[in-house]
Amino acid sequence: MTVAPAPAGRDRRTPDGRRSRRSSTPWNQRLAPYLLVLPNMAIFGVFILYPAVNGFNISRFDSTNARTFTPVGTQNYERLFSDAEFFDAARATAIFVFAFVVLSTVLSIALALLLTQPIKGRTFFRAAFFLPVLLSPVVVGLIWSWILERQSGALNSLLGGIGLPEPGWLVDGPLALGVTIFVGTWMHVGFYTLIMMAGLQAIDQSYYEAARMDGATSWQQFRHITLPLLRPTMFVVIILSMIAGFQAFDFIYTLTGGGPLGATTLMVQYIYEHAFRTPIQYGLAAAGSVILFVTIFGLTVLNFLYGRRKESV
Amino acid sequence: MIGLRNKKAVGRPTWTGSSGARPPSVGRVLVYVALIALTLLFLAPVIWAVLSSFKSRNELAERPPSLLPDSLGLDNYTEALSRFDFTTYVSNSAIVTVSATVLTLAINAMAAYALAKYNFRGRNLLFLITLGTIMIPLQIILIPLQQVASDLGMTNSLLGMIIPPAATPTGVFLLRQYMLTIPDELIESARIDGAGEFRIFLRIILPLCKAPLAVVTIFSVIWRWNDFLWPLVIAQSQDLYTLPVALAQFNSEEVVPFNYILAMSVVSMVPVILIFLVMQRHIVRGIAQTGLK
Repeated sequence: MTVAPAPAGRDRRTPDGRRSRRSSTPWNQRLAPYLLVLPNMAIFGVFILYPAVNGFNISRFDSTNARTFTPVGTQNYERLFSDAEFFDAARATAIFVFAFVVLSTVLSIALALLLTQPIKGRTFFRAAFFLPVLLSPVVVGLIWSWILERQSGALNSLLGGIGLPEPGWLVDGPLALGVTIFVGTWMHVGFYTLIMMAGLQAIDQSYYEAARMDGATSWQQFRHITLPLLRPTMFVVIILSMIAGFQAFDFIYTLTGGGPLGATTLMVQYIYEHAFRTPIQYGLAAAGSVILFVTIFGLTVLNFLYGRRKESV
Repeated sequence: MIGLRNKKAVGRPTWTGSSGARPPSVGRVLVYVALIALTLLFLAPVIWAVLSSFKSRNELAERPPSLLPDSLGLDNYTEALSRFDFTTYVSNSAIVTVSATVLTLAINAMAAYALAKYNFRGRNLLFLITLGTIMIPLQIILIPLQQVASDLGMTNSLLGMIIPPAATPTGVFLLRQYMLTIPDELIESARIDGAGEFRIFLRIILPLCKAPLAVVTIFSVIWRWNDFLWPLVIAQSQDLYTLPVALAQFNSEEVVPFNYILAMSVVSMVPVILIFLVMQRHIVRGIAQTGLK
């Protein structure tokens, strides 16, 4: 895609012409922005916006093969809301997202505070916490499921070796959900820590100097300077971790496979399995998709409005 | 970097403002203890996996497991690549990662430049749409998106993995924020010198945007190389599996012995870790610079 230079257009321009007389902007300067945004916006339109809108439409159809569709009106939603598995998945997702967001936010603040101390080997520590962010979630799940395996896993070998009980990390429902939350946090917290560190470093040091001169303790400085000034950053981390929490699927797929007995099956897996695994229940998946979409969008907007109000106070 | 002196929950008076040498205090010792313990928690599983990837099938079954492998032989690696066709999956992953990243960089930078430096009808709307789409991850439009891909004949092809997620809203946003800081005079004077619009973009704007382009590159490579759900949905035949899809599927079907799975997991770690080590200062700086909103 090239835009030919147009000398004629350029000559026509008057010194103040660009603002007062639109027509005097050379045609290539008027055309260029549209050509520049076109490829990106075309993909947005076809692969994000259209599907986002069409999702509502699809949820009014059912299919058992994902090729031929029958209109069913609101039946998909009726079936969804009477499906016990859906409620289990929604409940597990709610627990997972809540715990994941809280843990990620608190731990990333703590880690960022540790990592901004004047310590030796800071670069090394920073890289260490960031390492899991780089790994494939599939691989993260694989490695942890292997380490936590009840009989032969490294952790239980270690625990048994020093005479401690050997829990069935991935075979006990509530425990497995806890492990899932832990592994999810382990994998993502390094990224949020990086954001928090940027937030901490943006705080003006003179506040701390003034507080110290007034005899404020470390805790008081943290409570009354760091926390309030870090709020915009925390807000970013909360939104990002919330969206990431709702998306969680790939590492769980290899960690627990959604088991035991669906205890760690979250919404994305519920949707995936109903849409792409036999027996295909497309309608349930499509309706579940819409519910997930509305939930994430709604929560993000609420979060945003709340964050805005806080900032303006 | 600025040393923050406020330690959470250490609860002692702070006269530690100076950065001069002083005897290690309880607080400093606690900081190191916490850091080292946490580092172990973050590194140990990965190191354990790397060490074990050299172990034979019998060694892996030992209990208690030995810390170090008997030898550092590469049998697991070579056999997985030759006997289980992992060469195909690694090369699929590489093709998707490289072409998707190049495509993302090109279209994101073009859109960002238009949004940052041109006054045109619909600009604000397009920018709002960009911000809005940040909130629509692929996972929540999976079903309708798969329908679009299938209508366009993109299922079961590498193209179908590459194109649909290529226009990343975060990339556009990040690049636009950076391009806003480039002075308009630079563009104006290039126009007066007779440079065409696209030439200005290629020759003047892009070279100035190395830092944010590096950030977008890193995140795109990490994401695409490790991506799972979309390739899983698109790849219907086994010869189109990417590395993560192959690892997950073979592991759950238990068709490939775990020592090979482990070796290929380590292979999947190498490129992203290398890229991170080479470009790590760009990540930190990029996040700080763009301020993330």
